[in-house]
Amino acid sequence: MSKYKADDVIKRFQHVGSALYQRGLENSHSGNLSVKVGNRLLITRRGSQLGFLSKEDIVETGLEKDDSGIALASSEVGVHRAIYRETNALAIVHTHQIAATALSFLRDEIIPIDVEGGYILRKIPVVTCKEGSGSKEMEEKIPQALKDYKIIMLKGHGAFAIGDHLEEAWHYSETLQNIANIIFMVKVMGGDIEQLQERDLDAW
Amino acid sequence: MNAWMGKNTLVDLSSGSVKINDTDEELASKFLGGRGFGGKILFDRLDSGIDPLCEENLIIVAVGPLTGGPAPTPGRFSASTKSPLTGTITDSNCGGDWGPEFKRTGYDYLVIAERAPQPTYITIIDGEIELYDASDLWGLKTTDTTKALREEHGDDVEVLTIGPAGENKVRFATAMTGHSALGRGGLGAVFGSKNLKAVVVKGKEKISYADKERLVFVNREAVRNINQSPITSKAYPQFGTAVLMNVINEAGMLPKNNFRNSDIVDEVENVSGEAIREQILDGQTGCWGCMIRCKRDTSLKNESGEGPEYETDWALGPNCGNYDLNKITQANYLCNEYGLDTISAGSTIAAAMELSEEGVIDYGVTFGDSDQVVSLIEKIAKREGIGKELAEGSRRMTEKFDRPELSMHVKGQELPAYDPRGAQGQGLCYATSNRGACHLRGGYLVGAEILGAPEMINRFGHTGKASLAMEEQDVGAVYDSLTICRFSHYAVSNPMVARLLSAAIGERIDTEKLIQIGERVHNLERLFNIREGFTSDDDTLPERLLTEPLKAGPAEGHVVELEPMIEEYYETRGWDGEGRPTQKKANELGLEEEYEQIQS
Repeated sequence: MSKYKADDVIKRFQHVGSALYQRGLENSHSGNLSVKVGNRLLITRRGSQLGFLSKEDIVETGLEKDDSGIALASSEVGVHRAIYRETNALAIVHTHQIAATALSFLRDEIIPIDVEGGYILRKIPVVTCKEGSGSKEMEEKIPQALKDYKIIMLKGHGAFAIGDHLEEAWHYSETLQNIANIIFMVKVMGGDIEQLQERDLDAW
Repeated sequence: MNAWMGKNTLVDLSSGSVKINDTDEELASKFLGGRGFGGKILFDRLDSGIDPLCEENLIIVAVGPLTGGPAPTPGRFSASTKSPLTGTITDSNCGGDWGPEFKRTGYDYLVIAERAPQPTYITIIDGEIELYDASDLWGLKTTDTTKALREEHGDDVEVLTIGPAGENKVRFATAMTGHSALGRGGLGAVFGSKNLKAVVVKGKEKISYADKERLVFVNREAVRNINQSPITSKAYPQFGTAVLMNVINEAGMLPKNNFRNSDIVDEVENVSGEAIREQILDGQTGCWGCMIRCKRDTSLKNESGEGPEYETDWALGPNCGNYDLNKITQANYLCNEYGLDTISAGSTIAAAMELSEEGVIDYGVTFGDSDQVVSLIEKIAKREGIGKELAEGSRRMTEKFDRPELSMHVKGQELPAYDPRGAQGQGLCYATSNRGACHLRGGYLVGAEILGAPEMINRFGHTGKASLAMEEQDVGAVYDSLTICRFSHYAVSNPMVARLLSAAIGERIDTEKLIQIGERVHNLERLFNIREGFTSDDDTLPERLLTEPLKAGPAEGHVVELEPMIEEYYETRGWDGEGRPTQKKANELGLEEEYEQIQS
């Protein structure tokens, strides 16, 4: 039985999901959101449309163990559980943003050239998984990367961002989109991205 | 005939004669096998209007081109007859190990005709067919019968048998193989009416395929999809089909107390898939060649068995106001042993409870009396006391007391565990199912309306549901004719099934042609029912679901708005306003002769 599907929590999901869709970070059916509540997990339903979430699109299931919610939960619930297990995340936003995904094919890490991007994220590692959505390989590699970063890119797939709440993870997701768009535009205008990215990143 | 065995057999129980024939290639091409074969043979050979329990009725047991081969979930077989519960054509589809073993005896189907002069069982061992006296087995429960027949014929035979309920012609009796059932529609009663106790099989024939390498390759892709789908790789394997108890309860459409309400009830947790796993599960098991393994080996303090599965859990549980998992499981074991369909048994008990509470007749049973649920199973199977009336099914029982509206049935068959007031398309599926209320023959729109499989649609909407119902019905007929399990449909696409079949038989079957075969099977069954006198008036739902809005829960305020969906459904099917296939549709499907027969 659902214990934590309160109306205010549903509204947070709807607010963030709608914003992600309208800003182009998701296509009609991509991505997923979750929050950790006690020893439970609230996660978007498999195949749900993040831009148009209803109460029934938010599924409650176990943080560690499966229960009947697994019949409805996002197929990437295993990755979300692994992230909660391995990091101190309380919320996860997974987006399929286009520019950052395109960049992930070409780089092992995305280094911002804009001031705000550099200030907030500094750099974003690109994780490579040979196996597809919801795979064990993703469950192993992504949480490890998120131990040191607030957001990571999965090569050719999308971004996983974590935070204390959905809004924070959303913020990192939007920031990454700006970073990738700016890199793309500067490149198109003939800018030298590598030169602009020269900065001391050793601390990261 | 690649993928088919090329032979079939007819056993005349009256004379004891056995005929072996070649399987007609046109029959195989047009109807595939399983349910398709059953429908066609029954249409051709049965006279209309016969009593389903008379000797003229037939039982067609059939497998299909993907049974027992390198295909997803290929362990099933089908049995068809005219139903003693509904008077419609019916087919039941069963898992376990019997189907693949039967196919390896070398036959595509078995026609069982007439009535034996005394209790009899059939053996088909390595192609040889013999009839034996079953007088010593008559009265035995299903497990004891199986044990006795294995002692006689070897541990490696597979046994399909009825229990005492079938012998006593309970109208919703099953035939069982292990813990798998030819469940719905009363096939067990037809076995009983023919004095047929069991069919024992063992085979060693090889199945040949046109392009086995390609078949294996496509099957590997299908299995990979099954192993990646959360429903088939996580939900069903871990919690069995009862994983749906909490899901459907929270959607406000798990019926309680004979569909009097379907609002969210906390006690459902006590009988959920999670509770089964925590309290009584010994291990998960599955049918022949299946990787989903949704079946549950369970045990109570002094007994063990299989289940409960979702429909059983609900029918003997919340639908009777019963939230005692041990009692539900006990009643389930008894249904398996006596050979009773758990859905119809539970729903008929629920109707008896409502009759009692309404003061119509004092059956001494009330909602929530879990002990009564258990004790009534034996009474029904033996037709003892009030069991004699319950053994007729809820429609006949409530009609006897002039309260037919208290039977939750369509065409005489009791509804499964989804209140369609919370999923309008599912209501259309129930109403138009050829074998009476059924989430499988009628189509499983709960998948799209509640589970989001393949995509979530508005469950309270109506327009467009007809097309979805039609596709679900036709694709389902394909699966039942191939014969593979419906659960693989969560993960395996229709084009993939078409590729599997093409590789198996050596002829290119595209998706459109594949689904048209399902449409042909569905239309033929419809013509059979029309010949039996069924009309559009029978495409309806219990009055309660059409007129009494749900009082609470997520589906509060809803009834099923059936009429506009039915009209759209007939149009979509290419039928006339009375729900009869038109000549044009019949011609399109190659059912000209059947259509002409209906006209005459």
